[in-house]
Amino acid sequence: MLGKGAGGSGAKPAKPSFVSYVSPEGHQARRKGYPNLLQKKWEGSSRFIHKEIHIKEPIEKEVNLHLLPGELLLCEANTVLKCVQEDGSNRGAYGKLICTNFKIAFLGDESASDDNEPEFKNKIIGENDITLHCVDHIYGVYDEKKKSLSGQLKKYPEKLIIYCKDLRVFHFCLRYTKEEEVKRIVSGIVHHSQTPKLLKRLFLFSYAIAAPTNTDTQSQTVMFDAIKDWREELERTKGNMKYKVLSANEAYKVSEKLPLYFVVPMSLSEESILQYQGRGIPIWCWSCHNGASLLKMSAFPKEQEDNTSQMHKIFLDGVYKTINKPPYEVLKTDDLSSSLPSLQDIQAAYTRFKQLFLIDNSTDFWDTDVKWFSLLESTNWLEIVRRCLKKAIEVVEYLEGQNTNVLLIEENASDLCCVISSLVQVMMDSHYRTKFGFQSLIQKEWVMGGHCFLDRCNHLRQSDKEEAPVFLLFLDCVWQLVQQYPPAFEFTETYLTVLSDSLYIPIFSTFFFNSPHQKDTNVSGEGHNAQSSHFRFLTVWDWSVQFEPKAQVLLNNPLYVEKPKLDKSQRKTTRFKHQRQLSLPLTQTKSSPKRGFFREETDHFIKNILGKRISKLINSSDELHNNFTEFYDSWHCKPVDFHGLLLPHIEGPGIKVWAQRYLRWIPEAQLLGGGTVATATKILDVIEEVQSLQKKMDEKHSLTVPQSREALPMLRNSARLSSLFPFALLQRHSLKPVLPTSTWKDLEDEDDLAKRDDEFVDLSEVI
Amino acid sequence: PPLHSTQSSRVPSTAVTSSAALSSHCLRPSIHPRGWRCDPLMGCPSDREAKAGPWRPHLNSFAKAKVLTASSTLKFIPEELVLYCRDFRVLRFRFHDSGLEPQASQVTLAIVQAQERSSGSAGTWYDSASSSAPTLLFESPCDWEKELRRLGAAGWRVSPVNERFDMATSLPKYLWVPSRLLDNELKRAFGHFNARRIPRLCWHHPGGSDLLRTAGFHADSDPEKEDVRSVEALMLAGHTQCVIVETAADLPSPAEIQLSYLKLRALCLPDSSVADEKWLSALEGTHWLDHIRACVRKASEVAALLAERSRSVILQESDDRDLNCLLASLVQTLSDPHARTQAGFQSLLQKEWVVAGHPFLQRLNLLRDNDREESPVFLLFLDCVWQLLQQFPASFEFTETYLVALHDSSYIPFFSTLLFNCQWERDRRKQGGCLAKETGGPYLPTIWDWALRYTTQQRAQFRNPAYTRGSGSVLNGSSAPVGAALSGNGAVYLFAKGALSPQTHLFPWKSGSLSRKGWRRAQSSESLSEQDRSLRSKPSGCPLQPDGLLLPASAGPLIRLWRRCYLRGSQEVQVMPAPGTLAGRVGVGLRL
Repeated sequence: MLGKGAGGSGAKPAKPSFVSYVSPEGHQARRKGYPNLLQKKWEGSSRFIHKEIHIKEPIEKEVNLHLLPGELLLCEANTVLKCVQEDGSNRGAYGKLICTNFKIAFLGDESASDDNEPEFKNKIIGENDITLHCVDHIYGVYDEKKKSLSGQLKKYPEKLIIYCKDLRVFHFCLRYTKEEEVKRIVSGIVHHSQTPKLLKRLFLFSYAIAAPTNTDTQSQTVMFDAIKDWREELERTKGNMKYKVLSANEAYKVSEKLPLYFVVPMSLSEESILQYQGRGIPIWCWSCHNGASLLKMSAFPKEQEDNTSQMHKIFLDGVYKTINKPPYEVLKTDDLSSSLPSLQDIQAAYTRFKQLFLIDNSTDFWDTDVKWFSLLESTNWLEIVRRCLKKAIEVVEYLEGQNTNVLLIEENASDLCCVISSLVQVMMDSHYRTKFGFQSLIQKEWVMGGHCFLDRCNHLRQSDKEEAPVFLLFLDCVWQLVQQYPPAFEFTETYLTVLSDSLYIPIFSTFFFNSPHQKDTNVSGEGHNAQSSHFRFLTVWDWSVQFEPKAQVLLNNPLYVEKPKLDKSQRKTTRFKHQRQLSLPLTQTKSSPKRGFFREETDHFIKNILGKRISKLINSSDELHNNFTEFYDSWHCKPVDFHGLLLPHIEGPGIKVWAQRYLRWIPEAQLLGGGTVATATKILDVIEEVQSLQKKMDEKHSLTVPQSREALPMLRNSARLSSLFPFALLQRHSLKPVLPTSTWKDLEDEDDLAKRDDEFVDLSEVI
Repeated sequence: PPLHSTQSSRVPSTAVTSSAALSSHCLRPSIHPRGWRCDPLMGCPSDREAKAGPWRPHLNSFAKAKVLTASSTLKFIPEELVLYCRDFRVLRFRFHDSGLEPQASQVTLAIVQAQERSSGSAGTWYDSASSSAPTLLFESPCDWEKELRRLGAAGWRVSPVNERFDMATSLPKYLWVPSRLLDNELKRAFGHFNARRIPRLCWHHPGGSDLLRTAGFHADSDPEKEDVRSVEALMLAGHTQCVIVETAADLPSPAEIQLSYLKLRALCLPDSSVADEKWLSALEGTHWLDHIRACVRKASEVAALLAERSRSVILQESDDRDLNCLLASLVQTLSDPHARTQAGFQSLLQKEWVVAGHPFLQRLNLLRDNDREESPVFLLFLDCVWQLLQQFPASFEFTETYLVALHDSSYIPFFSTLLFNCQWERDRRKQGGCLAKETGGPYLPTIWDWALRYTTQQRAQFRNPAYTRGSGSVLNGSSAPVGAALSGNGAVYLFAKGALSPQTHLFPWKSGSLSRKGWRRAQSSESLSEQDRSLRSKPSGCPLQPDGLLLPASAGPLIRLWRRCYLRGSQEVQVMPAPGTLAGRVGVGLRL
């Protein structure tokens, strides 16, 4: 990376070339330690060696292809070179490229059974596996030109570049592959990953049918597919005084968009619910400790006909009348489709944003690096994150600061409604900052809330127009909170990263349906078929499917402290006090007839006390933002209670790039022995020590039988880890450092060094 | 008078501009807030400028804020006093009770005048028993001996040739020079360098390399006529290979540093008018992070050169007093685990900045006598170290809090450490020179005496709980060049812009400065980035990092804004979590 900055013309590496100069044999030689500087030289000489060693055909090693239940091998190609792109050279490893109905996989000829088995191994997706749904774009390289591949191919490329949705980039060189194999593998990969699919053809179904039915493991994650889950949630949030669970939608009689069970205001009549298939009625999300509730509503589509829209209006008026009456008090509505960016904007911003991280080679990386911040800004992604967080804070202010119910409105109440309502709940309810709580929240708001995962992720490749990374946007917002307040969350950013990766693993049903109705009909539709009648889908929340317990430890925040259990009456009073403090001037404003007078005052007060930075946040109604800024500001003046309300910093410097997710595959961003894992190592060591001391104490006092403790991963030798941990496993190829230190005793290497020195600068006298 | 400090929350407090504080010529308005959460980094605010902006929340008339200087007379009674501190804090004092109290203007004027007066003379300090700090001050020869032993640099000795500052006033009293070079031979070398700052050892790599620093060649020196063997011996330092690093080649000039620092300050003030969505490009526009990147990159290049093979690496800067200080100390921070301990870091600062003659007085401009020379080179260095700290959170014994404290110390005029331009001035002051009124002069403590300003509790936050002492890379196991014959034909390379180019002669200069013109550029000049990349891309299966060498990344996403330091002024962006708690201390860097 050195010398690559502005003005480093002398140091610029050779232009990245898509032509490999290394033949398989040359590659072998390379592995023995020839520095890549000699690569060009090899162009000539390798041919020579080629003849000599040719007798030894690359041994067709028995590669152990691991197939999942229901997974079928579709096509394969041998002698494929997987290139390492870190320095624009074409170093890499030879192996077999395969395509199944689940994934594209590369199987290296050299078994990867090194001494360093990765600490954090995904049992389903290996280092060189790409699920078909994880493929973002495929490019072919023809004569150094990159072309997007889709549909029928006339010509077959010499190199295949696969961009993944988890931001990995794979380069497969097909120069040494037999022509018919190239044809088969390229068209196979393009076909299976790019062409539209039917829902029933998802690997999800093949897997569910073939996989042995698991015994139902009782998880603490609430799935919200039973009426009792909703009742308990109402009880937990004390919303059961004003809201009721409906079972009217059993067998999806009311609406296919709604879940089987949902919660509405008590005073809402049955017929109004049935009238428009659930549109236009407020659906309960969550209740605040002060009784204010968060509701959502599917808006009516814009009607051309006056008659219809008039009827809608009358209907809505009736509904509002009902829920504006006591005990519901004031209701604030917020139409998210007008106050937040559209799905198209979100998709466009993310498309620009991810380009910064989908990196072909290091030259690309350094090109963008010079203007990093302005490029980042121009993608607008962080601004969208900021606006979502800000909207959530506004809603929090109404609920907490003004004791007002909030009704979020959106066309289907299943996109931005999910983002905002779940963000509000993460900020206000510490239960949702635990792992199981967070998972339950996603079940409640996203899975049962009918977020169209299938369409938004474009899993079936049916329509690009519907694609929008809404869930990813939510995870990014949560990440901002996690990185600003790490001790407040039971889970780590690694958890969020692997959760985002799980979006593309089609063995879990969680993210592969548009609604609970779609899922249920597709399970029961198979009912006639006797053998599949009892198949069950896996849920992503069963982390043991993907990770060993040792790896799962990395998903948990070791510094999280559970909420101390206070007795209820005590908690109530403290909370009440807190709330009074926050809302004192605002309650006055709300009820006072001399509203204008107060408002003016507050206005000046805020402008002056908070300075311009805060007033920048003011962009719509003054009153709203006065309340907002004062609420925001007074919260940030107080010490943080990690188990209480949490508001993110949303100023310019506050919103950051989710570095772990976006930079994890980029070698330039790697820090050997650095990064947060260095601290994590120390913390885990300390925890281990505490545990062993605890154990000793327990044994000494022989109070109880020692409990089984969580296994801690061995991160001892942090010098062997890098900042890309636990994701980076890609540094294995370059086994040869240039450092001729005393620790480096390999004679062959010394020879190579001398050779290279002869070629370039005469630096060898010393040795 | 009862005041409202509105910095954090509106808590009634009392501002005391005590006469003691004023008479001691140092500004120190003490704030005694009631129930105010104490900032662990509280130092003395040293004002930049004071603005009085009268405004009342209950009146609609607010006058414009006015910048006050010592010569200002207040024509109105101020309602609020805003202090913009150099350490990025902004303190607001509201005068209570309708603002008509006469004390309001008194206090305001007193503060402003005290600020101005403090520019006239350096501060005084009461005598206090000097604490026994393990920091080497490099004022006595034994410190130099001790450090040389630690480095295991055989072939080097401590020369007292400049003990009376008669060779070069800006150099330290003692120099590390090759053992075989006698002092009278050495004396001949001084004339060849700007300000007579000859090449001398900074650090010895356990692998055998030596890091040296020097000023540029003097314009009048002529190698044709004069005997330059001593210069050769100094530069080759017993190695057969010598790399001259043009320090200024890729790094910003002091003037550029100052300019971008001013921009950064303006951006980070709470009343900066930059919209949140334009924040990132505004940050980019300051170029501050670009400068940091350049420094970090260059330092890791030099560190790679040192680690690669045994050679002498000479940092050459025209006057050897600004960026050479920065680069030499940054390279050592990367290469030497000892420099990442608190004592080691402080010793490093003493050696490469304080006694090496970084003109702190000019650069920090504490006396405000010459704005043109002001340039926060030292603060740029601290920011670079912070970058390393956040990239390698377990490799440093000290914390961000320590660096912020150090940052703030640079504006406190009580300490001998950062108050003088070179050791000679510092010594004269100590011996009751012209600056002191009384004979003997007042005692000026060093800034390393942290106990003077920080409580035990605060100092406890200087220690990084996540620090993992390196695997004990032994620095003594040196493979020093054993009697390698000095020869005039030593291979010499020039290193600039990330590339090495061979030189035909050791002294390629003719008209004083190194010009790259007549130089034969190597046909395949080896790109350092190649080397460095192979260094960086070492697999995890490799043996330990050589000698605890840190190889930082200088890519855009990894060079960050030091928020805890620069964004202290805006109350909304307070660094979380609250420091002091165990979770806070550990959690700051924790992003599993």
